[in-house]
Amino acid sequence: MTVAVTRTKAEQAYSESFEAVAQKLPGGRAVAEARKAAIGAFAGLGFPHRRIEEWKYTDLRSTLKEALPPAIADATRVSVADLEAALGGLAELDAHRVVFVNGTHRPALSSAGREKGLEIGPLAFALDRSAGDASIRPSAPGQEAMIALNTAFMTDGALVHVAKGVRLAKPLLLIFVRAGKEPRLLTTRNSLTIGSGAEATIIEAHVALPGAGAGQANALSEIAVGDDAGVVHVKCTLEGAGTSHVAGWLATLGAKARYRAFHLTAGTALVRNNLLATFRGEDAKLDISGCFLGRDAEHIDTTLVVDHAVPGCESRELFKGVLAGKARGVFQGKVIVRPDAQKTDGKQMAQVLMLSEDAEFDSKPELEIYADDVVCGHGSTAAELDRNLLFYMRARGVPLEVARRLLIESFVGEALDKVEDQRLREALSAMTVGRLSGLVA
Amino acid sequence: MPAVQQTIDQVKRIDVDQYKYGFETTIEVVKAPKGLNEDIVRFISDKKGEPAWMLQWRLEAFQRWQAMTEPTWANVKYPRIDFQDLHYYAAPKSSEGPKSLDEVDPELLRTYEKLGIPLREREVLAGVQGARVAVDAVFDSVSVVTTFKDELAKAGVIFCSISEALREHPELVRKYLGSVVPQGDNFYAALNSAVFSDGSFVYVPEGVRCPMELSTYFRINEKQTGQFERTLIIADKGAYVSYLEGCTAPTRDENQLHAAVVELIALDNAEIKYSTVQNWYPGDKDGKGGIYNFVTKRGDCRGRHSKISWTQVETGSAITWKYPSCILRGDESRGEFYSIAVSNGHQQVDSGTKMIHLGSNTSSRIISKGIAAGHSQNTYRGLVSAHRKAKNVRNFTNCDSLLIGDKCGAHTVPYIEAKNASAHFEHEATTSKISDDKLFYCMQRGLSEEEAVALIVNGFVRDVLQQLPMEFMAETQKLIGVSLEGSVG
Repeated sequence: MTVAVTRTKAEQAYSESFEAVAQKLPGGRAVAEARKAAIGAFAGLGFPHRRIEEWKYTDLRSTLKEALPPAIADATRVSVADLEAALGGLAELDAHRVVFVNGTHRPALSSAGREKGLEIGPLAFALDRSAGDASIRPSAPGQEAMIALNTAFMTDGALVHVAKGVRLAKPLLLIFVRAGKEPRLLTTRNSLTIGSGAEATIIEAHVALPGAGAGQANALSEIAVGDDAGVVHVKCTLEGAGTSHVAGWLATLGAKARYRAFHLTAGTALVRNNLLATFRGEDAKLDISGCFLGRDAEHIDTTLVVDHAVPGCESRELFKGVLAGKARGVFQGKVIVRPDAQKTDGKQMAQVLMLSEDAEFDSKPELEIYADDVVCGHGSTAAELDRNLLFYMRARGVPLEVARRLLIESFVGEALDKVEDQRLREALSAMTVGRLSGLVA
Repeated sequence: MPAVQQTIDQVKRIDVDQYKYGFETTIEVVKAPKGLNEDIVRFISDKKGEPAWMLQWRLEAFQRWQAMTEPTWANVKYPRIDFQDLHYYAAPKSSEGPKSLDEVDPELLRTYEKLGIPLREREVLAGVQGARVAVDAVFDSVSVVTTFKDELAKAGVIFCSISEALREHPELVRKYLGSVVPQGDNFYAALNSAVFSDGSFVYVPEGVRCPMELSTYFRINEKQTGQFERTLIIADKGAYVSYLEGCTAPTRDENQLHAAVVELIALDNAEIKYSTVQNWYPGDKDGKGGIYNFVTKRGDCRGRHSKISWTQVETGSAITWKYPSCILRGDESRGEFYSIAVSNGHQQVDSGTKMIHLGSNTSSRIISKGIAAGHSQNTYRGLVSAHRKAKNVRNFTNCDSLLIGDKCGAHTVPYIEAKNASAHFEHEATTSKISDDKLFYCMQRGLSEEEAVALIVNGFVRDVLQQLPMEFMAETQKLIGVSLEGSVG
């Protein structure tokens, strides 16, 4: 079917704004060429809309009405105290910090210590030397337009390499801060490679300073987990009211790799997290879990594809959502088992608690299976708080508000329990509980 | 995989020939010329002696169809259909108005005998042939005979072909036709609305429990002919009816199109149970030939406390594109969907259901079992949605897939849309092969490997089989066995 191509104002404006800022974006000639090609591709594709199956429930063409000026080489003042406040529970963690304010690396706020086998560098620096060439060709089905836009406008991000066999002593905390009143588009990209046998914990936090203006973010993270490597990868999307955050998160797993990911999403007007995990080597294990908390008219979309391209791998996904006000949650999870990917073991679960009459949850858990010796399953539930449980607790003298809070906390707790590191789990729990109180009220 | 081989062996013993309904009846026919245009629509309407409004309705549908494009979202692949290279009407010459069974062409009767469909009431009553079921037999584009009409009429039940209903009860048809599946609903529904030829019409009046099972038997016989049947079932307040359809077609190299529309309407406290045993010719082992089964089936629980239940056993057709759905409009209404879809060879199945909850306190249940073997692709696609104003909606969905062989695929694509908090939705799906643990457990208790596999496969589909009318359970079990034949090696 051919659809007449009419571009929305925002789509046109982005193409035009690219012309205006192209000179200022980091990167040598090769990068500039790639950016030009990407904006051309975006002009052809436009924002994804509901006619595209993967975007059925999140129509960016109708929600992203405005093109915002891209933030480039931003110098908004941010103090360490501001940063700590914005980080919440994560501020307590003893970690290598790499801070980006409005999409630009801030060495002064960062505290990346030296560790043997760990290389961290800002992407902008690599782009300027055209060493970042490899990181401008990511692809994922259904994400073409947003990746193209990311390639065109990306300003900075973290380039991380953990050497073979190295076990990082401290977690890596990548912080993306939105600051200043002006509404802006922030475009960042991370490229992480974990050598074989290495172990690392990487946390990405997208936060807004108090009083930061509304805006848009396009964030892309690529991670390649080497053979036999173990990675804990956490993302917190806490961008602030009025902000939309569209992100790609592309992971590849080597043989016997262990990859555990956790997503906490709250307090952002529109979120679309596109996760794609591909097994490249046998006997790898994947565990992705997350919590999403929605209130007011927030829209939180988690779209996940797990691609069992090789035999003998195991995948587990558990997502828990709590929706209040007029919030809308979307969960699309697809497990693909390719021909010959025998002995695959995949399980997926998405559960949502709806706290208000007007909340909405759309779920599409998919299985696409081409091999027979597999065990795959998925589940999805949506419900309000169980009245029997509430009654049970109240009958034992627990006040209604406390009973509700306890039940909701234990509901999301199941997902939080997937985070194995105690200090990290406690930090994430504290942040989740803090955000929950705003929902239950 | 030894276990799978056992299944096949076990199944083979049930029946030797793969598709036993593949014969062709030689009979004189009246056909419309090939192609589709307004004249063909007029021709069909004229053949049926329809009222003017019906022709108008068809023409409207035809106009809409012309503006539509074929849907491509289903997980099926097939060459483009040339809609101008088909006959849209074919009828046995002798069938124009037989009054009783004696006037029906004996060749036709022999066909149905061969298919095991009892058309002779006397023999049925005497217990010569199977169960006591009223049958409407549709051969290509026309209904050849409807049995037990008199007895049903005594109870006030109208059971006849839709062409006859258009002549005898135009007011009922006009009131309900297209009220569940409108002319422009989708590409194939629009096509059907324009050119549908025959099908069954059932009206069960207020408070009547239909005294026997009703059934329609569809047979495609002619070459290069599409079958477009239209079925309309209305259960008035407090009525109950159970209806079964069966279908077969001859073995041919060409692909034939079957695009049906079924509309069910249940008023207050009424219940309709609709069962399908679909066994259209599935094509040969290389995927040549077979029926394209593109069907729109939808039930409307219009009244309070009404219930519609779909049960389907899908073993035939080269391609199936079919989503029997329930619109749960009346408060406290209930929708059910039980399905077994068996695919083998190069069959492609994209089937499922939609449960659209509009009324409060409505509930629905979906049990879908897919068995994929050979090179087939078997997809469950379903929607469960709760409208913003529909309070206390409940749904339970369970779709399981069993894979036999490593060249087939099983897919699950459910859409779950809860638009208010009081909705309570549960969905679960699993895909696996017969696990060694289960086999071991059974064998440890003294069953042979074959018996163990039979037990597990039967257990796998049991939830659905139980929903079929008693008379058809045994037949269906056999059918599932036959369709799995030859799925390995």
